[in-house]
Amino acid sequence: MTGIAASLDHGVPVADGLFEMTGGEPRLIGARCQSCKTVYFPHSAYCRNPECVAKQVERWLLPPRGNLYSFTIQRYRPPPLFRVDDWAPYVLGLVDLGEGLQVMAMLSGVAHDEIRIGMPLRLVIEPLYTDAERGPVVTYKFAPDHRS
Amino acid sequence: MSRPVYVLGAGAHPWGKWPDKPQVQLAVEALGAALADAALGWPQVQGLVAASSRFEGGMGWGLHANEVAQAVAEQGMACVNVGGACAAGAIAVHTAHAMIASGQYDVVAAFGAERMPKGFIARPPGSSDDISDHDYLRWVAMGATNPAFWGIEAQRRIHDHGTSAQTLARAAVLMRRNAAGNANARYRKETTVEEVLASPIVSDPLHLLEICPVSDGAAAVILGTEAFARRAGNTPVRVAGCAIATGEFGDPARRIPTVSSSVRSGVSHTSEVVGAVRRAFDMAGVGPKDIDLLEMADNTAWHLLAWPELFGFCEAGASDWMLENGRFDIGGELSLNPSGGFLSFGEATTAQAVLQICEMTWQLRGQAEGHQVPDARVALSAVLGLGANGGSVILTR
Repeated sequence: MTGIAASLDHGVPVADGLFEMTGGEPRLIGARCQSCKTVYFPHSAYCRNPECVAKQVERWLLPPRGNLYSFTIQRYRPPPLFRVDDWAPYVLGLVDLGEGLQVMAMLSGVAHDEIRIGMPLRLVIEPLYTDAERGPVVTYKFAPDHRS
Repeated sequence: MSRPVYVLGAGAHPWGKWPDKPQVQLAVEALGAALADAALGWPQVQGLVAASSRFEGGMGWGLHANEVAQAVAEQGMACVNVGGACAAGAIAVHTAHAMIASGQYDVVAAFGAERMPKGFIARPPGSSDDISDHDYLRWVAMGATNPAFWGIEAQRRIHDHGTSAQTLARAAVLMRRNAAGNANARYRKETTVEEVLASPIVSDPLHLLEICPVSDGAAAVILGTEAFARRAGNTPVRVAGCAIATGEFGDPARRIPTVSSSVRSGVSHTSEVVGAVRRAFDMAGVGPKDIDLLEMADNTAWHLLAWPELFGFCEAGASDWMLENGRFDIGGELSLNPSGGFLSFGEATTAQAVLQICEMTWQLRGQAEGHQVPDARVALSAVLGLGANGGSVILTR
């Protein structure tokens, strides 16, 4: 068990190195180029900017808040590599986190007819399914940000 | 050295489901039809370029050209096998073109043949189950199917340009209408806006009939020098532009299978395809106004609206009006996928971009029976493949 997984008290991450809890708040783990400051998600081994010579990236926590850029509703069940308990159609959003970065994620806590492009969102960690050996498995999602 | 290259022959095996025909047989039949069209035999073919499939054949190493050579023409010819996923056919044609233009070969064949697996395409063996593999991540973290990526693009278009559900459906209707007269197409029954909108939603706002299915099929072209073109006796069709490209840093497209984009202003959407089209335009010395017909990869109805705008045929958002007013019909301002497109064929990945060149050849010769663009003189193709591969060809007569 990795340190990241151990820090998420409500489940095991669906993949290691995707997100962590920092000061009680979930954060996505990305990378940022030390030269051109381009931000990537998930972590990237190199900077893809052809102008960058060094290609040195550093671990970079992404902003936990953003705005909905676009979305779709996944109406049929994806193939088995995707595991979920209580399957039902769900929303997939493309979230603009600023700094030029757009991230895809499931949306949580919003009715299908209440989705609005531009709506403020915040990062949440929620269970996908319960595995017989690993217990609850969690992924990152975005939920309406009522604070803003 | 660079010299003109011509299409000597074109041939295709009709699209459909052909479980009883081995992939090599589909390839051999398409190549045989192309050779007959060129009035040539295997002994004249000096090079064979395959768009390599990842699904079957090729001795497990993508050696699809060698497989065909060993099956029907063991004659010492050069065999080249190229990858490029759904754009592999364009890369095969580009390679064959370069082999002739360079002066090293006089007659080269390029082909793609595919039998698509049922259901979802499995991940290749040896893929790592961690965040370094975007294809792993998009499945386990959120279950993002390919239509989900396209749905997100289409939803944003609705937001930006007010595209209606009816307009998206009408794009699918146009493809079926064009395919109705095309014997090589798989889905040839005309449909209606009502029927499209009554089909199940797959990924909002896209309906089942607005998303291309998969099919089996094969296509081949024989390229050659001017001297061979004169000998063949067909209307000479010249490869005026032929280009491949990959994506540019900062491209805002939702690129399958990545779960994020690092976007930079001023970079074209779908830059791999736009880059290839621009290079083909430059090479041919033509622009959008000169093009009579466009054969493009319409994985969805959204692509049919977005891509002509990206290539400069009209302003961003203007495709809706063009479509609604018949400008994309056969014989309109720009005949858009007169073949019926991927929506009417179903995608046979590596074969698809070669079929585009066949279709363009038949159109320019006036042989596109049942779906002919009147007096077609200049034709453009555009295709996209995994790995940010783009390809584009311009043919003229």
